Amino acid sequence: MEFNLALQDLVNGILAGGIFAVVALGFSLVWGIMNIINLAHGAYIMLGAYLAYTLFTFWHVDPFVSIPLAFIVLFILGYFIQRYIINFVVRAPILTTFLLTFGLSLLIINIALVVFHGDVKGITTSYTGTNFAVGPVTISWTKLWTLVAALLITGCMQMFLTRTKTGRAIRATSMDIGAAQLSGVNVAHLYAIVYGLGAGLAGAAGVLVSLSYSLQPSMGDPFIIKGFVVCVLGGLGSVQGALIGGILYGILESFGSQWIGTGLQDATALVVLLLVLVVRPRGIIGKAVA
Amino acid sequence: MHVGRGLSYILLAVFVAGVAAVPRLAVGADENTIVFGAALAATGSYAREGALTKEGYDFWSDYVNVHGGIAVGGRKYRVEIRYADDESNPQTAAKLVEKFIDQDHVNFILAPYGSADTFAAAAVVERKKIPMVEGNGASERIFNQGNKYTFGVLSPGRKYLQGVLDMAVHLKPRPQTIAVVSANDLFSIEAAQGALDFSAAHGLKVVYTARYPADTSDVSSVVSAIKAAKPDIIVNGGRLQEALLMQRSLKEQGVNALIFAHSVGPDTPDFRQTLGKDAEYVYGGTQWASNAKYRGAPGFITDSKVYASEFTKRYGHVPSYQNAESSATCLAFQYAIERAGSLDPLKVRDALAALDVVTFFGLLKFDERGINIYKPMVVNQIQHGESVTVWPLGSQVRPPMYPTPPWGSR
Repeated sequence: MEFNLALQDLVNGILAGGIFAVVALGFSLVWGIMNIINLAHGAYIMLGAYLAYTLFTFWHVDPFVSIPLAFIVLFILGYFIQRYIINFVVRAPILTTFLLTFGLSLLIINIALVVFHGDVKGITTSYTGTNFAVGPVTISWTKLWTLVAALLITGCMQMFLTRTKTGRAIRATSMDIGAAQLSGVNVAHLYAIVYGLGAGLAGAAGVLVSLSYSLQPSMGDPFIIKGFVVCVLGGLGSVQGALIGGILYGILESFGSQWIGTGLQDATALVVLLLVLVVRPRGIIGKAVA
Repeated sequence: MHVGRGLSYILLAVFVAGVAAVPRLAVGADENTIVFGAALAATGSYAREGALTKEGYDFWSDYVNVHGGIAVGGRKYRVEIRYADDESNPQTAAKLVEKFIDQDHVNFILAPYGSADTFAAAAVVERKKIPMVEGNGASERIFNQGNKYTFGVLSPGRKYLQGVLDMAVHLKPRPQTIAVVSANDLFSIEAAQGALDFSAAHGLKVVYTARYPADTSDVSSVVSAIKAAKPDIIVNGGRLQEALLMQRSLKEQGVNALIFAHSVGPDTPDFRQTLGKDAEYVYGGTQWASNAKYRGAPGFITDSKVYASEFTKRYGHVPSYQNAESSATCLAFQYAIERAGSLDPLKVRDALAALDVVTFFGLLKFDERGINIYKPMVVNQIQHGESVTVWPLGSQVRPPMYPTPPWGSR
């Protein structure tokens, strides 16, 4: 009995971890490459979720179909926000970008509040809540497909960063910005692309979130801290790190909640964060970066 | 020289007195208006409930103003409600209430939404000696502080789930086991505690109980544990957001039970809209139902049905109990002010303490702590997309659809 419950917790954790991985991937890219702790990340998640909600409610577009669209829309938004707002202070101390993105977050959330109102909304598809059993373990179809989508997204991201010219330029810039500039990389444009990718990934994550959770304008905020923890767990600026960190975080949260105390769900993961910082500050996968 | 200084002191004293006097006059800027301050959640986790509360307040104030206002000592007063967003945050609620009293000099305070925010606001009105009536904070902790200026028109939190359980023990086959879970906020804990107390007193075996963090985004592990415990009844103390999350997770993991109940949520239109057919069979405690058979005192809509139909005309949706209890909150002030025949805070407070009046919402009467323990809770069940009163028998519209069929065979 206890064993079955633990098995179910493991599955719950892995299934929840996919979303955390996509959330953290965008957060980690922006942080790792531009040294910006992007507090507007939660707001982009919310926008992605509302985009999926709007498409689903008015045009019956399946949320999984909305993922690429949310990515593109948020990418464009992110690109312009970086190019024409954040870029002015990108070299400033981290606190400046911290405040700026916090302000952006407030602005976006409040606009959403005016447009969508504060009501709790949700997406209920024909397959919401359907499940299947594998032995003693019940698996939700929505959450399984969410995990598959998350794996696909991280896979695409990895391909992009390793196989394309822009991807390689991004990695080069993160290693040595001076050398990258000398090799002809347009850093302002590249930073805008990175920020756009971060926002796009947040938007995609938002669509995934909207499939299982309720929507309201401040819904993205709790994911910022989760993204932060996952980045530290997995290591900064690495796709595998975000994926492994995300799934690990999901498992920790699930087990912490079941076996340590339901009220301590968040605390468990944060304690692990502290341990990782003490024992292995670079994260599980991450490379040692100054 | 000395004379000059003396004069300047006098002038200064006059000026200070003048400044001190101005705010008192500010209330009477439009002399025949009673001004209420309300710090309500427009953002944050109680945004939806905050909006429902505002509708309830506004519905009352519009009605009163259209019908000539409130009579105070032979003069008619219009009413005005000033709002501010407390962001679902108790500290902000307290700050805003303080601002309403100190800077805006409102006459009275209409409470925020939610127990924690109301609790924080209660401390402020106590200090400032300005009466506050609330209809959306069901935690009894608010009333166990010895406060003299806070009054609650609603039944306390521990009663929210007891109605469902009272119904359950009268059903055939009688359920034997129960799982009680709740979010760890003031109200939800009391609602769960009420369910635990009732279970102990009526021989329902508690097979699982847990508290999860309020505002959590995932309750999978709690639901897995519930499933493993195989209870006949599953009750959840929480808000709309948590009720939605819990109900979805229960379906995702295919958890079956004879009865599913949530303290808050099933009675809101959002619960049914969001979950669609997955909301069917779910029970919820409710402060009020439109088919309740109360005969209210004159001065406001006297009949529950009329309240419901007028409200629907105005807002385009059937009133939830949050709407009704919010209107009742204002109504308590209306009767108290009329009976006090004055806008003096202390006199109105005394009139509130002595209030004993039937309204469309039920009896408004407060015990010595200020909470309305005299009004029973109603149990609603979602049947064919509608929230239908199934308990107590006196208000029953249709019998409960019992037992809840397994997810697979709905």
